[in-house]
Amino acid sequence: MSGHHQHEEAGRATSPYAARIRAIEALLLDKGVLTEPEVQDSITYMETRSPANGAKLVARAWMDEGFEGLLLSDAKAAALQLGIDPEHPAEFIVVKNTPGVHNLIVCTLCSCYPRAILGRPPDWYKSFEYRSRAVREPRAVMREFGFEPPEGVEVIVHDSTADVRYMVLPMRPPGTGDMGEDELAHLVTRDSLVGVNVPRS
Amino acid sequence: MTFEPGDSVRVLPSEKPGHVRTPGYLKGKAGWIESLIGEFPNPEELAYGHSGLPERPLYKVGFRQADLWDDYEGPAEDYLYADVYEHWLEPGEGESA
Amino acid sequence: MGGSPGGPIDRDQHEFEDWERLADAINAALGGKGLQTTDQHRRAIEGLEEYRDLSYYERWAAATEKLLIEKGILTSDEIDERAAEIESRWGGL
Repeated sequence: MSGHHQHEEAGRATSPYAARIRAIEALLLDKGVLTEPEVQDSITYMETRSPANGAKLVARAWMDEGFEGLLLSDAKAAALQLGIDPEHPAEFIVVKNTPGVHNLIVCTLCSCYPRAILGRPPDWYKSFEYRSRAVREPRAVMREFGFEPPEGVEVIVHDSTADVRYMVLPMRPPGTGDMGEDELAHLVTRDSLVGVNVPRS
Repeated sequence: MTFEPGDSVRVLPSEKPGHVRTPGYLKGKAGWIESLIGEFPNPEELAYGHSGLPERPLYKVGFRQADLWDDYEGPAEDYLYADVYEHWLEPGEGESA
Repeated sequence: MGGSPGGPIDRDQHEFEDWERLADAINAALGGKGLQTTDQHRRAIEGLEEYRDLSYYERWAAATEKLLIEKGILTSDEIDERAAEIESRWGGL
């Protein structure tokens, strides 16, 4: 009775949990614990979240000081203003990179991530290697991603150990003064929102 | 609220069993209160289906990386922040900033 | 985990499989109905013996299963049975 979701091809080697979670879905639907629309809505919810949302927030902040202020003081309100509805009780805080400070986000305990804005985190963010090393050797981690902060820049790591989800507001790259908001948003990579790198320039 | 921004604090070295949201690498470490994030039900109790009430203060706590790791590769100004519940903190030594 | 030694970070991204999206969705849907909370789910994940051997969504699925059984919403027998039916419909692995 698992309606319209696509099914994995029979015979494809995959996790034993694939069948188990489908079994759980089927049983929960049979027993009326969940309904089809409820499951589908949850699937759709995550599909509509992506790093493009974060890029929009950053681009608007770069162009509008007032919006930047709102993003830094009440990030959920800022998101709502751009039509991005977090719909999630966790706090959402944006931390700003400056010429003197570079921020890096990690969740050592479980890989929390601002999913309600950015969608699912990348595999590397959830890896044991990232979770172990980002707190202890952030500069070495960033080097692996191809980024070295300039001389004199402090690196600040945020371990999201409670129910706050963090996102970085990167610095606007030089030479982008003439760009419109959409062009600016294109420069903002997901990696720059986590802090392992900086935007394209 | 026991703590104010700038207060020196130390993370309790407790080896409490069960679900905790204070990472091992911070236990026993000295830092400072950066800000009060808010008050929330205690996740250690929510994890077992209890109400988690009364709500507990949650602080953004700063640590010098050089204080956390003997072999930290980076300048003395590098920091780490973690979000720590009040019941995991005790007043630290030294003056408030 | 924070501060433990670790090797290079693998930056490959796997394609999300449908069952992983489903694990995510079931978790969110149950949360939305107040049938489980984030903290309960985290606690269940942390308690998994096989934690280090499972992938991210395998941990999620295993934890959700554990909670549903704990809360008496489903039994492990009926999950086993239904999973076996589904696998045989798929023609086995």
